[in-house]
Amino acid sequence: MPKHYRPPGKKKEGNAARYITRSQAVKHLQVSLPVFRRLCILKGIFPREPKKKVKGNHHTYYHTKDILFLKHEPLLEKFRDIRAYDRKVKKALSKKNRDLAERLLTRKPDYTLDMLIRERLNLNDHFVYTAFLASIRSLYLQITMFGTLVGIFVLSLLFILRLRLSHEWQAYISRTHKLRKTFISVKGIYYQVEVEGQKVTWLTPHALQQVVPEGVDYNIMLTFLEFYETLLAFVNFKLYHSINVKYPPILDPRLEALAADLYALARFIDANSKVPALESQSVSSSGSEQAEAQQKGSELDESELRLAQLQHQLPSNEPGALMHLMENASGEEEDDEETRECKALFKNTKFFLSREVPRESMLFVIPAFGGVVSWEGEGAPFDESDQSITHQIVDRPTQGHRFLSREYVQPQWVYDSVNARIILPVEEYLVGRVPPPHLSPFVDNEAEGYVPEYAETIRRLQVAARKEVLPMPGLGKEDLDDPQNLLAEGIISRAEAIEAAEKKQKMSFLQKQYLDELKMELNGVQYSADSSANKQNSAEETKAGEESLPESQQDADDAANLSTVLMSRRKRRLLEAMEIGKKRKKDHVGLLKERKKNIEAKKSG
Amino acid sequence: MVELKLSETGSGAEESEFSENEQEIANTSGGDDVSTGGVEHAPQDHGVTDNGDFQQEEDQNESDEDRHGVEESDSSEDEVAPLNTVGEVPLVWYKDEEHIGYDITGKKIKKKERQDKLDSFLASADDSKNWRKIYDEYNDEEVELTPHETKLIRKLLKGQAPHANFDPYAPYVDWFAWEDSKHPLSSAPEPKRRFIPSKWETKKVVQYVRAIRKGLIKFDKPKEEPRVYHLWGDDSSSKEKAAHGLAYIPAPKPKLPGHDESYNPSLEYIPTQEEINSYQLMFEEDRPKFIPKRFTSLRSVPAYEKAVSESFERCLDLYLCPRARKKRINIDPESLKPKLPSRKNLKPYPTTCYLEYRGHKGAVLSISTEASGEWIASGSSDGTVRVWEVETGRCLRIWELGEAVQHVAWNPSPDLPILAVSAGQDVFILNTGFGNEEDQKRVKVLLHVETHPEPDDSSQCNKASVVGWAQDARHEGVRLKHFKTVSSVEWHRKGDYFSTVMPTDILLAIKAILIHQLSKKVTQRIPFKLHGLPVSSTFHPTRSVFFVSTKKNVRVYDLLKQKLVKKLETGFREVSSIAIHPGGDNVIVGSRDGKMAWFDMDLSSQPYRVLKCHPKDITSVAFHRSYPLFASCSDDCTAYVFHGMVYSDLNQNPLIVPLEILRGHTSANGRGVMDCKFHPRQPWLFTAGADSVIRLFCH
Repeated sequence: MPKHYRPPGKKKEGNAARYITRSQAVKHLQVSLPVFRRLCILKGIFPREPKKKVKGNHHTYYHTKDILFLKHEPLLEKFRDIRAYDRKVKKALSKKNRDLAERLLTRKPDYTLDMLIRERLNLNDHFVYTAFLASIRSLYLQITMFGTLVGIFVLSLLFILRLRLSHEWQAYISRTHKLRKTFISVKGIYYQVEVEGQKVTWLTPHALQQVVPEGVDYNIMLTFLEFYETLLAFVNFKLYHSINVKYPPILDPRLEALAADLYALARFIDANSKVPALESQSVSSSGSEQAEAQQKGSELDESELRLAQLQHQLPSNEPGALMHLMENASGEEEDDEETRECKALFKNTKFFLSREVPRESMLFVIPAFGGVVSWEGEGAPFDESDQSITHQIVDRPTQGHRFLSREYVQPQWVYDSVNARIILPVEEYLVGRVPPPHLSPFVDNEAEGYVPEYAETIRRLQVAARKEVLPMPGLGKEDLDDPQNLLAEGIISRAEAIEAAEKKQKMSFLQKQYLDELKMELNGVQYSADSSANKQNSAEETKAGEESLPESQQDADDAANLSTVLMSRRKRRLLEAMEIGKKRKKDHVGLLKERKKNIEAKKSG
Repeated sequence: MVELKLSETGSGAEESEFSENEQEIANTSGGDDVSTGGVEHAPQDHGVTDNGDFQQEEDQNESDEDRHGVEESDSSEDEVAPLNTVGEVPLVWYKDEEHIGYDITGKKIKKKERQDKLDSFLASADDSKNWRKIYDEYNDEEVELTPHETKLIRKLLKGQAPHANFDPYAPYVDWFAWEDSKHPLSSAPEPKRRFIPSKWETKKVVQYVRAIRKGLIKFDKPKEEPRVYHLWGDDSSSKEKAAHGLAYIPAPKPKLPGHDESYNPSLEYIPTQEEINSYQLMFEEDRPKFIPKRFTSLRSVPAYEKAVSESFERCLDLYLCPRARKKRINIDPESLKPKLPSRKNLKPYPTTCYLEYRGHKGAVLSISTEASGEWIASGSSDGTVRVWEVETGRCLRIWELGEAVQHVAWNPSPDLPILAVSAGQDVFILNTGFGNEEDQKRVKVLLHVETHPEPDDSSQCNKASVVGWAQDARHEGVRLKHFKTVSSVEWHRKGDYFSTVMPTDILLAIKAILIHQLSKKVTQRIPFKLHGLPVSSTFHPTRSVFFVSTKKNVRVYDLLKQKLVKKLETGFREVSSIAIHPGGDNVIVGSRDGKMAWFDMDLSSQPYRVLKCHPKDITSVAFHRSYPLFASCSDDCTAYVFHGMVYSDLNQNPLIVPLEILRGHTSANGRGVMDCKFHPRQPWLFTAGADSVIRLFCH
């Protein structure tokens, strides 16, 4: 009897029944492989790893339930319709039946992905409190992809539309001051925002012609893009509604033609979000309001645009409008501390961008941190000769004509200031200089074990800006009121009180030590000298120890070895793996330090 | 008939024709508007007449013509007569003449006086109508075009029909009279279909009507629904269960960029040229994917060449990679280590090397302690057995056996100071000469072998063929001749029996383990079947139980009942040594893969704990007789000392704590420490090294 013999009438069970290979799945669904791929991408179905691979190792396995889930998808039927339709058109054309072909072309079957988005994002994260948040979380790839593909198909109208979607997203972020971190990498510019408590990071490539590699299946990328496009549209809709702005926005065609989408959007949002306030002021009828608007509308085409927007807003002129206003006001109040900080960063600065500066990125970043910005070119809000400009962003070797009232800085200054959340001194970023290293804001230097020099400088500047002592590392910002008071109030138990008292004591000690160190630093004592002094103190103590250092080292090793002897194999392997990882990290840090030392030696030597 | 008439009145007709011609000329020159239509007709008709096919027609036409001509002549009669009658001859002929031709009466027509160019220019400049004037070379006169004529010319230039009233698309009038024609083109009767509405057209119409009714053809455009709307309006749906009840595994997020991915990283992040070159020597999968680069300004940053392919790879990962949840443990590695009781509380145990016993020339393969603990014996590969005084390290006795000594064992009974030594195929029972005289006397009796009874007893013969007992005069002892190399000798606790193990091939396994009785000088095979090659054997410290370890497992036999009691599954590849706890219920087994197993025989036949301590083969394991200590030594030149407490309470598992790693021996020929034995009274450990040194470790 063969090994896999199954008596007739007995169903398959176990992994054989639970998982099927991809080719089986394709056969089962009666579709072609490209359609299967497309479905999988749109539905978010991925292969799984069965414990036992019944068909062998070189197969992709899907869960049977996943495939059944695909089988019941209405989209599957739609795809079949589209295929049949394509054949009909082809047949009509080849039979020279123009009439039929034309008639068919007017009836192209269409499909939407709305329900799919709803289903997927509910399904994926039904344990998260709203599905919307989930959708935000999956934004990463898509915005990145927009950028990349837009780079490739610059001229395609379709992609311009998609670019607009991501501009809308950026306009929202910029308007609500949600941008948190930026980073110029070799790959492009990373942005991190915090929307509804979710951190979204994306990458926009540098605005250059992309390299089009071979061996990339653009159909797959387009399918992803299709899904994410729909998703982003819905997300944008929701976000715009949350700040009481109509979606899709109506843009000033002049600015749009000048490819200043972002600025146009920002103006639209500004104009739109002011509307409720306007409405509340005029309790009178909509007609009078319209008249009022028309008065303003006589000024410029800009106000014509607003008129159009106002007319869109008219239905909301109901009791509900007041509620919206309230919500809006409360929303402003609700801004967390970080948002407020971000909002005020470039509050009193006015920027002007030179031609060579990446305008799109700057127009996104600067307003997001409360700055006012203009650029060289048509449609700019103010021009270069404006006296109130404080910073001009320039990326050229030398600057010819200079206004004395402003600083000429390189673009990196903006990004570094944003990451540090303080306005950095401009000296190092002036035109013609090599700017200081640009550091990633996504790295936790302490965890990494290596703090670059410039990070340390920035930290000092931050401290100086806050004019306060840096909180002690290692100790949380716990409330350190006198524990006795709390005990009296019966808030905490005695044990906790004792613990807190101890902590306080320890804290005060540490603080004192730290202050001493600071004082020494202020007195001009070099850190190295300081440490050497410390060493001298402790030298006598350690002298005896140093003699027997190899032995003690051996002892320590032995002690470490001895405890591993008793460990189970699994734990021992785990420990080994951890140690390897640790060692790798340490090696990396060592390498960095060594390189640093070499560079410094070269400089001095 | 008419023609005849014409021919008869030829001259007249000719004349009339002639006059017509004249008229023609006059017309062109005179510029009469009415006559022009006739002029055009005339040459056409002439063309038809030339054909001469349809006589009648011609006649008719001609008559028509006549009529026309007459009318025209009437109208043109009033005007000035045409002048020149030279006809169509080249005017060059008259170039040098004073006349340009002849008028109708045959008189010469004189050339007009020529104006010189200047005058003509001035005249033309003065005359506003000058642009209309055309010089007629034929008649030598200037003609002024009428507005009507200029219009005609303009039309001709445009390529339109010159006459204003002429309609090029006039409905066709079929002048041919079909009715009375004798030979029609087709004599077929007019078909019926010419009179009734088309069936196929009706069908088509019906088809269209149906299509419209069905909604296949739509005239009004479908209403545009907004593409985006409030999708997450109600939160009720968000509580839905996953549609198919499978867990969704979210894709891992891509890693965020570090400092090295910056366009302007700190200098220390940029690899040096040598490092970049060294990447080429690496395996492709080890090679770093991204090499940091530094650009001094933002404008000099080029497009990232892998942007699209990386994006594509991410797409592939998203839909092609099998996803599985992996638990990522984020714990302190120290927490993995078991909590051990403090070593200080477990003292005393051997920690430092106290003495070295030097003298052997080769690797010391085996040592043994005397029951009182005053002496140790050691056997070496240089073929000597030495006895040492423990406290001083003095070598008391040396036996030269000639062959490498595999194993030495002191007799455990304190009043029998004899040594069992295995060297090659022989086992020697040696008298050490210690102890008082009474002991010596007893030993000498014991070590005396009578040679003659052997041939008598046939039953002994079989056993004698296995082992031969003989007196060894040279070493004052007994010599047992085996048929194979003996690897170990172990004494029974009472000192009368001892067992020898010969690691032979599987066919001889049954004879591999022998038990000898010294008092009777008798050898017997063990009456059990061995599964596998024997490695070593020991006696139980208190009961009559015999342990035989084969390569894979340990078998425990009851000698009285003569049956297998237990089989201990070690799970090792090759067992090298075995030691029994003095209590008798716990066994440790060392293996050649560096692992040591502790068996609690009451608990199970599986190891209670496996200790992986040595990277190389374990050569020997040992229990202390009184202290809760055990040790293992290995070819990696170390010996481990453990605390192994066995409780009398059966519910409590033995406590095992590693205490110390003893170092000091050096490696020779790839071997390290060959044997270890505890001192019977003190917590001291003797180790025998392949570097021909014996060390004593004390607490």
